[in-house]
This record gives sequence, structure tokens and C-alpha cells, in this order.
Amino acid sequence: MNTGHQHGRSGDRRGFDRRRFLTRAALGGATVVGASALGGLDAEAAFAEPMPSLDPAIARSTFAEGRISRVNGSVLEVKGSYGEQHLVQLTNATSVWKLRPTTADAIKPGDGLYARGVDMPDGTIAADAVWVNIVNILCTIRGIAKDRLHLSHGRHAVVGHLHAAHTTASYLGGAQTADLSRLRIGQSAQILGAWRPEDDGIDVARVTAGH
Amino acid sequence: MISLLSTLAPLLCGGLLAATGAGKLFGRQVARQAAGTVLVRLLGDGRRAARALRCVGAAELAVAAGLLAAPRAVASCGAAAVLGAGFLGYLGYAKATAPRSSCGCTAGEEGPIGWRSFTRAALVVAAGLAAPAADGTWWSAPAGRPVASAVLVLLAAAVLVVLFGGVDRLWLLPLRRARLRVFGHPLGGPAAGAPVAASVELLERSLAWQAASAVVRSGLLDHWDEDGWRILRYAGVHEGGQGARPVNVLFALDLAATVDNTPRPAVRVTVVDDATDEVVQVPLPTAAPRTLLPLAEPA
Repeated sequence: MNTGHQHGRSGDRRGFDRRRFLTRAALGGATVVGASALGGLDAEAAFAEPMPSLDPAIARSTFAEGRISRVNGSVLEVKGSYGEQHLVQLTNATSVWKLRPTTADAIKPGDGLYARGVDMPDGTIAADAVWVNIVNILCTIRGIAKDRLHLSHGRHAVVGHLHAAHTTASYLGGAQTADLSRLRIGQSAQILGAWRPEDDGIDVARVTAGH
Repeated sequence: MISLLSTLAPLLCGGLLAATGAGKLFGRQVARQAAGTVLVRLLGDGRRAARALRCVGAAELAVAAGLLAAPRAVASCGAAAVLGAGFLGYLGYAKATAPRSSCGCTAGEEGPIGWRSFTRAALVVAAGLAAPAADGTWWSAPAGRPVASAVLVLLAAAVLVVLFGGVDRLWLLPLRRARLRVFGHPLGGPAAGAPVAASVELLERSLAWQAASAVVRSGLLDHWDEDGWRILRYAGVHEGGQGARPVNVLFALDLAATVDNTPRPAVRVTVVDDATDEVVQVPLPTAAPRTLLPLAEPA
């Protein structure tokens, strides 16, 4: 127990020192000023239409989706929605999104997954980014409570769980904010979040309300 | 009160069964309703499940007619209790073997089986058991105690409305809206600082992101705040003279900047070799930002 604790602390210290080093490096970088019209690679990009990219690396990417049937070390066995099988290899350069940027430890069998990566000669996909349980659905807000939104998606009732540190809202195309007090009952809202296999709810990452 | 309730039970239970039975027997969407239920698995295919659902609807209508016409007959009360017990058994079986299936009980409900379905079935059993103990028929009850009967029927009708998920919007939404008005909005107002998602959004709309897009491969790996800066770390691959090598791509932004308050964000971009921690000089092609076309002025 003690050893584990020591281990954890030295790990934290290494992480802390590494961050300080990277901060110094980051603040020494070249400054680029301006806005662009190009999209990103964040969670929302998992749903983006495939489009020709300026970047040859992205054009070489492959995409996998399905349910994780087994986690075998750093390899995820994924059963695709159309019966296909994928082996998704995670590396320490793979970003893992599950409501927030997290680590491979958060991935559990039974989770759904979207992965972007590169085909390897051995048939696996070396993942650059995986999005776990990501859902992006248009809902109507049917109720607002302290820690949850009651939503309806079509004729289905869905509970959206709110997380103070991670749930943001965007109103009328504005910047994302932690201010959720402008949500109204009866409003249509695009909900981006992580599906919860255990109770079929959604951990809400972002509420985009049009009005 | 109890005796009045048992006298009126056939009316209420008959009304409930008539409504759900008619929905199943004559409903246009019974096939779709049946498709989501455990009946499909039990009977082999959807058409048979729909037929079974219509038969159940006919049985409900028959029991409802019996309860309304002969409220104290053992046959009609017993049939209601047996029907309710059958529903409970079916719901228990469906919940245990296929928790995600819908119950098919009413036309308005498609979600998984919940407390409403069980409560409705239990009420049918209770009404079937209570009805024989009644003092008189339901149509003679209002003559003796008109006010109490009316109040009870209204109360029971309200309970039944709550038990039908499909009509939530009639009562639940106004109730929730009123609660927000009275007790205030439960969710917090503006918080200090921009959330990380806002910084990522700003970064992804920045020229710096466009310039670094040839290097970045991963999504957001890590982020932290220091001295008024927010550092966002991504993994990437730099194809330099010595072949491809893994790198960290670091972006530093103003902690408070968002797309609302910073139309032209200033982002510091650094590429650090992942193995050696050396800063890699990567040419960042800062193509001129798109010039905005002049907007049409309203006449």
C-alpha cells in the first residue's frame, strides 16, 4: 500500500515536472495570430462528413466504429455495427475522449467507440484518437434539475447527467460556457455527450441551444 | 371512503382497460408497437406479436365491458384480477429477460418498461380484488355521496393520467416550468474563466490550428493552466529530414479567451520531440486568412 502511494507521488512529481518543462517550451513557441475557417479534430469531428483534407496524414487515416468486446492490454477488440471486427491498438500518443480527455484506463468492455488511426501491416489500427461512447443527438429539454436534464429524443425519454467541471453550453452559436442557467424547458438542443451503458443515460459534454 | 373506492373501482378499472384495449385493438401503429416488445422473441416474428397484442386488446375490452356492465359479478372481477396478474407476470418476465424492450401496454409509450407499467397492472389486480366487496354498483354510488364520488373520480383520473407516459406534456411540463419559476433555475449562472472546451473551440478556429494541422494527429491529450495561460497538448508526427518522428504539439492560449471575446486569437505553437524533448523547428505555413466578403447593406 505504502509503496503504491510512493509510486503515485513520484509519478505525480514526474508529471508535474514534465508539465513545467512543456509549459516553458510552449511559451517559447512562435505566435500565430488569426482565425481560420477549418474544422477541428475534436469530439464533434467524429461525426463530420469525410472531406478532402489539406493534410496528407489525415487523408491516410482510417476510421473504425463499434462496440468494444474485449480489452486486451492496449489492444481493443471492436465489433463493428456491420459485423466486421477491428483490432484497435492504443499508444501513449492516442487521445482518449470519454466525456473529457482521459486515459485508456477509462475504456471498458461494452463501451461504444469511434477511432481514427492508421492501418498497420499486421491488420490492426494504430489509433491516433478514440472517442468512447460518443453520442450527438437532437433533443427537446423536458425538465431541468440540479444534476440532470430530462430530455426527449424522438419519443424516447433520455436522462442527461450534468457534470459541473465538464458540461458546457453554447447559446445562439456563441462560445462554450459553463453557464447552464439559460437553458429552458421546451427548448430544442443538440446534445453531445458520452452514453452510459449501465443506465442508458448520457453524460452531457455540450448542450447547443439555438435560442 | 374505502367502500366508495371499491364501488367505483370497476368504473375506473373499466375505463383504464377500455382505453388501453381500444388502443391495442384498433391502433394503426400496433405493428410498430409490437416490434419493440419481448413478444417478438417469444412468438418468433413481428406479425404474430402484433396479432397477439391485438388479441390482448380485445380481451381488455371484453373485461372492461364486463366490469362496467356487471361490476359485482365474480366472473368480471375475477377476469380483471387474472388479466392484471397476467400483465404483472409478463412485465416481470420481459424486465428480467429483455430489460430494454418496451412493454407495448399503451400506444403512447415506447421506452423500456418502467414503474408506470407495473403500477397500472397492479391497479388492475387491486380493482379486480376490491370490486366484489363493494356495497353497490358504481352508477348508484353518486346518488348517495355525489361530492365524494366526483372528487374520487377526478383524483383517480389524475392518477391514471400520471400513469400514462404519453400525455406527460399535458401536465408534467407545465408543472416543471412552474417549479422553475417559483424556486428559480437550479443550474448555476456564469462561472469565472472559460471552460477548456471553449479554449479548444477557439484553437480549432484559429490560424495556428490550420498551420499545425499537418503535424497534429491526435485529439486533445492533456491540458493545464499556468500563469494566465492555458496549455493544450496534442500528439503528432513530424516528417522531417530524418524520417517521421513522434512529437508533442503544444498550444498556449490566453486563459480567458473564447470565440466571443477574441475574434483573432494569438496562439503560441511549439513542437517538441517526444523522445528527446528537443524543440523541433517546424515551418508553420500561415496562409493569409480568408478575407471576409462585404456584407450586403439593407436598403
